[in-house]
Amino acid sequence: MTSGKVLIIGGGPSGLESARCVAELGGEVVLIEKRERLGGTPDRESYAKLTHHWRDASEAMAEMAESVTGNKKIEVKYSAEVKSISGEAGSFQVQIEAGGIAESIEAGAVIVATGFQHFDPGRATQYYNYYSFPDVITLTDLEKMLKENKVVRPSNGETPKKIAFIQCVGSRDRQIGNEYCSKVCCGIAGKQAIELREQIPDSKVMIFYIDMRMYGYWENEIYWPAQEKYKVNFVKGVISEVLKKGDKLLIRGEDTTMSRPMEVTMDLVVLSVGMEPSAGTRAVAQLMGIQQNKYGFIESGGAGGLDPVATSRPGIFVAGAASGPSDLDDSIAQAGLAAARSLASIRKVMA
Amino acid sequence: MAAKFEKVKSVEKEHAIVDGVDISGDWNRMFEQRVITEYTPELIEKVADIPGAESFANCYQCAKCIPVCPVDIVGNYGPRKLYRYAQTGMDLTEAPELWLCTTCKNCLRVCPKEVDMIKIMPAAREQAILAGKFVPAELQQAFENTAKTGNPLGQPQRKRDAWIQNAGVTIPIIKDLARPVDVLWYVGSYPSYHPRGIDAASAAARIFSALGIDFAILGREEKDDADSQRLAGEKGLFEMMAESNIATFNNYEWKEMVVTGPHELNAFKNEYPKYGFNRPVSHYTTFLARYLDQLKPLLKHEVNVKITYHDPCYLGRHNGEYEAPRKLLEAIPGVELVEMQRNRENGYCCGGGGGGMWMDSFTAKHTKMRLSEKRAMEAASTGANVLAVACPFEVSRFEDAVKSTGNEHVTVNDILELLDRSMRGEQ
Repeated sequence: MTSGKVLIIGGGPSGLESARCVAELGGEVVLIEKRERLGGTPDRESYAKLTHHWRDASEAMAEMAESVTGNKKIEVKYSAEVKSISGEAGSFQVQIEAGGIAESIEAGAVIVATGFQHFDPGRATQYYNYYSFPDVITLTDLEKMLKENKVVRPSNGETPKKIAFIQCVGSRDRQIGNEYCSKVCCGIAGKQAIELREQIPDSKVMIFYIDMRMYGYWENEIYWPAQEKYKVNFVKGVISEVLKKGDKLLIRGEDTTMSRPMEVTMDLVVLSVGMEPSAGTRAVAQLMGIQQNKYGFIESGGAGGLDPVATSRPGIFVAGAASGPSDLDDSIAQAGLAAARSLASIRKVMA
Repeated sequence: MAAKFEKVKSVEKEHAIVDGVDISGDWNRMFEQRVITEYTPELIEKVADIPGAESFANCYQCAKCIPVCPVDIVGNYGPRKLYRYAQTGMDLTEAPELWLCTTCKNCLRVCPKEVDMIKIMPAAREQAILAGKFVPAELQQAFENTAKTGNPLGQPQRKRDAWIQNAGVTIPIIKDLARPVDVLWYVGSYPSYHPRGIDAASAAARIFSALGIDFAILGREEKDDADSQRLAGEKGLFEMMAESNIATFNNYEWKEMVVTGPHELNAFKNEYPKYGFNRPVSHYTTFLARYLDQLKPLLKHEVNVKITYHDPCYLGRHNGEYEAPRKLLEAIPGVELVEMQRNRENGYCCGGGGGGMWMDSFTAKHTKMRLSEKRAMEAASTGANVLAVACPFEVSRFEDAVKSTGNEHVTVNDILELLDRSMRGEQ
């Protein structure tokens, strides 16, 4: 039976924005979220200043969540997962389990917004010793400390004065299996470097990189100010290993534009970990029989290549980082498109 | 032609001498530590904290400046490298690198971050001078000469107008005329004292006279503009000279000023206004190009030469005049004008700007060849037999350079001399 409802899987930035847009366009939504609260990874990982104009991302997410939970056209189901799906565009039957109770939902279209997970730095081929040295941390670890305005060396609680970011950890690496660029790590490292210089004005902050990839607003809102205003230092040449030297960390690499080896001590080393498809993205893609790319992200683009929210199965759409690394801006933009396309696909069947 | 000169590898010492014994070998490079053991952002900030030098910290290493830096072509140097050197331990205010920039402005022309060496270098050099750090001795001498005698050559002030006796035409001194003139011609130090400069000045006087221009010079009252001293870090000296010159300029009535040299043009047009001097100033090429219709009938004699013209940095890039010199050269009957590979906006520096004029021995220690030699070779490679110039620093520089590079067949002439030759025939 044809249904006018749109089922949205995932209550992160893309899921919330899709839900809001479908409702605003006059459609009805069932949004299912695996956790007990909305907001997705920005909320779970306590992202701070990760939006345009440095607004606190979890704050912005809370605002989005509120606009969804307060909307009569949107039904939100927490602690919920998809179990199976059958049918076709216009009339899908989806079995879910919400709070341990099985349910069946009729939906005309589905938007998959199941997001990403951070790369596990233990899998890096270089010896970064994330699990051995407490002062080797990731962007997400640092984000939490920055949010509380209390950045310390985990080993001794002291304020770090020399901090190095290592870019492309888990990204652009064939051996790891992630040949893609995670897109956001350059911007986030730049942003965190600025915050470090604000919170610890007498710190030296250095970013070691292969290429700085600061697309969109990252370039003029982060990269240039990071260097020109906040005096963050960028060095081309990624670090090969992190060793211990007394109670400091010794980073070893090549300073490529000087063409010289480099061994410098640091108080804190931040690994700019990339994005991988979340377990939810992998599971949902399998279960729905939609095509994944070699990295496990949901293949999008459609037959013509210019349909960034289309999946291989008509009536099922994808938004945000489930289809590949994506920042908040891009995820939100895709969500709006997915909302429009899902409603259009239902109306086509109904007509 | 240029191929026989390899670029210098700065980390290798030519000779290693220990206790008087030459132990040179392939391993000389080991004398400089290879491993970087510390980054020193504070040394970038040390420069960027100097007023005027702020943009030093903005380099993002795109390296667009390096292929257009005239010094890198003969050495291992360039704006983006200075940033890295500072980041890896070099204190620019104490390093030889501080004195290699000629302020030619080609880096700023291409820099996407607008890192402005034209402001950074004078500011950092001034800091070094004030702090009593190393200053090349020859430069120090030029500063002292300027302060003592009013010109960097150290020539006596009373002889500044001695040259006018042999110019073959009457050259009025404005003080003696005791009446307003149309044109105040600021001759400049090199055209007043240097033999080859005097040749150009005398030619200018003859051309002005032939054109019937109502002009006068300041004579013994004229003092060096000191713009290159300013760029070399002596702002105090520059201010002293500027105040003195402005007072002299204001003592007389004249409609416009013409200068022989691009450095003087830059001083009076762009710097002296900061000290209250705001009068019309032109370089002689711009000025004479205005008189082209009257000038052409005077150019009666064919000058059968193949000329290539060298754009002075301070006439071209700094002040935007590329066409007037070429128009003048093209007006000379018999002349064939050919261009060097690097011309106009991308003209290659002769090495004389920013105080380079007075640091040749110092610069030679840090480069594989002189900038003027590189340029002389480029000029010769066009097949030209005359290298035409429009800056009083250049004649002597290039005359040395054509000799040292085995290109004696190339004659170096100021445009004034070539116009004069066409006017009067071979003398």
